[in-house]
Amino acid sequence: MRKTFLVSLMAIVLTACQTGADSTNNSITIGYIGPLTGDASPYGVDTLNGMLLKASEINAAGGINGKLIEIVTEDGRCTGADAASAAQKLIHVDKVIAIIGGQCSGETLAAAPIAEEAGIIMISPLSSSPDVTDAGDFIFRDYPSDALKTEAMAAYFAEKGYNKVAVITENTDFAVAFRDALKKNLGEDALVFDEVVEPNTKDFRSLVTRLNDVDFDVFFPNGQSAATIGAMLQQVREQGFEQLAVSHDVAQDQSLLQVAPIASEGLQVINVPAVSDDSEFGSKFLEQYGATQAAMAFAAHAYDAMGVLVEAIGTVGTDGIAIRDYLNDLTAYEGVVGAFSFDANGDVVGIPYVLWEVQDGAYVNLRNIDVN
Amino acid sequence: MTQLIANGLIAGSLAALIAGGLALVYGVLGVFNLALGQMVLIGGYSTWWFHQVAGWALFPSIVMGISIGALLSWFTFEVFIRPFYKLHRFLPLVTTIALSLILDGMILLLFEQRPRSILSGAKETMHIAGAYVSKEQIIMIVLTMGILFIFAYVLHSTSFGRKIQAVVQHDHAAMSLGIRAPALHRFVFILSGVLASCGGIYMGIDTNLSPTIAFSITIKAYAAIIAGGKGNFWGAVFCAYLIAFSEQFVVGIHWFGAFYVPPGYQNTVALAFIIILLLVKPSGLFSSASRSA
Repeated sequence: MRKTFLVSLMAIVLTACQTGADSTNNSITIGYIGPLTGDASPYGVDTLNGMLLKASEINAAGGINGKLIEIVTEDGRCTGADAASAAQKLIHVDKVIAIIGGQCSGETLAAAPIAEEAGIIMISPLSSSPDVTDAGDFIFRDYPSDALKTEAMAAYFAEKGYNKVAVITENTDFAVAFRDALKKNLGEDALVFDEVVEPNTKDFRSLVTRLNDVDFDVFFPNGQSAATIGAMLQQVREQGFEQLAVSHDVAQDQSLLQVAPIASEGLQVINVPAVSDDSEFGSKFLEQYGATQAAMAFAAHAYDAMGVLVEAIGTVGTDGIAIRDYLNDLTAYEGVVGAFSFDANGDVVGIPYVLWEVQDGAYVNLRNIDVN
Repeated sequence: MTQLIANGLIAGSLAALIAGGLALVYGVLGVFNLALGQMVLIGGYSTWWFHQVAGWALFPSIVMGISIGALLSWFTFEVFIRPFYKLHRFLPLVTTIALSLILDGMILLLFEQRPRSILSGAKETMHIAGAYVSKEQIIMIVLTMGILFIFAYVLHSTSFGRKIQAVVQHDHAAMSLGIRAPALHRFVFILSGVLASCGGIYMGIDTNLSPTIAFSITIKAYAAIIAGGKGNFWGAVFCAYLIAFSEQFVVGIHWFGAFYVPPGYQNTVALAFIIILLLVKPSGLFSSASRSA
């Protein structure tokens, strides 16, 4: 008697756990994974808002073939472990059709095998680690790989005659992969100072002191968030080093300018083109969500990732394999970040790079860098 | 080398402030406060808010930051510590863990997740005897020394200090001699909150504050008080400096002219050092025989 009661109780509890997402056929559920808390959260918040903006526009226009989009968000906390459990939950509990995410490369790489096994499409708006290229057939991204960016950076250093680079790397999937790719492009000897620090470290002083013993042309703060890059830059400048600092996407972040306003002056960044606040997308975004925490381009990439996904679902339906084939065969999607398509590995084709410099507390476009 | 010493003093001052207050709390009340790191952050973040958002001058913002830290620790004492700590010494361990989770959430809600820096302007660095230090860092190092001297004077040369020492040695015996131990408990707890806020303000001025660092602050402070001999104020202060210096020297020195320790091991080496120290002297470096913890 008691046992049957327990069993029926469990059945009730289990049914209660099933969210309404898959029970109705009038909606299409799409998952989101990204860092919503922690040091990396500014880009989690921006990409989520970019995705939500697209979804609300589609829903306002009647949804995808009459079905409304429902979004389930999960906090990946910029770590593989959290992103993996987020992916498990989204795929097996919420039964999502596809996932926009992860944002940090560590999130994407950990969630990828789970999505791959379930045949669920995952489009990352922000992960740039070269490892994402081989993450699987169902894994796409509309953000260019660091393999290309490190090539662009190496070409820039060669052009300027900088052959001694000092790099401090934060121990995360993204930053370490970037360091490795840069090392491959520049040659072993070019990294005259190459140290890896634990994530979220704020005290680099003694490490920076050691820079006195090396002769370097360029300092490269290779962090995962504006908080650590800001602390690195500040402590390098405090100890009197005046060499040029060059960094990647993460350093193009408004909160870096607030955290290290003087130290970030003159910093050069190689990144994707910006999306202006005054552009059509920018003003729409500002009206809905206010100023971005990191950068408008991050929101735009998420908006386009959602856009290309919606287009695919609208054309071929919700089957993972059909969406995958559609994305692979796509000739060009006209997004707010430009017209892009995907190569055989799911990497984006068609997004160029820009060399930025911080001048008087703002990022200024120095010139475009072509990548092929 | 002088730069390494300066680095050690910068990191050590911060650690000593936080650990010193904690050691007093442990010595006088015998309880663990695991929400300490969050108190550090709240002090720093409130100062940031008054200075950067409300637009107050730096000095009144710091005063407000410290006051909010004091109010928070008073509230913590009345709600999360006082009703429990006489029942069992370990109960506040649980209640302050709960508090730390609540405060973590509050910090995220009130101040958002992005990094915050209290001073947005330039920091002037000076070149002193081969070391670069900023004006703020010198002020902080001197101020911490000053606070420690005041503590030394109060603890060892005033009747109030002797009362604290008496309560540290034996709570009930001190009460039977007419010392109002409960009032002293409250005072010492608020004092530790004030010191923690000062630490947070310093951190926000020197580098930046982010919501995720609270727990590692708590852990480091506990490492210092345990290595220093539980409840021993000077032991904790000494060990806080010792840990900070060893962290800086471990990564900054070219060991035997042959290799550098990878900076990823910075925290590990300091904690390994403490473990070895405790193996040699299990009761801590400066343990007092009178209190058996």
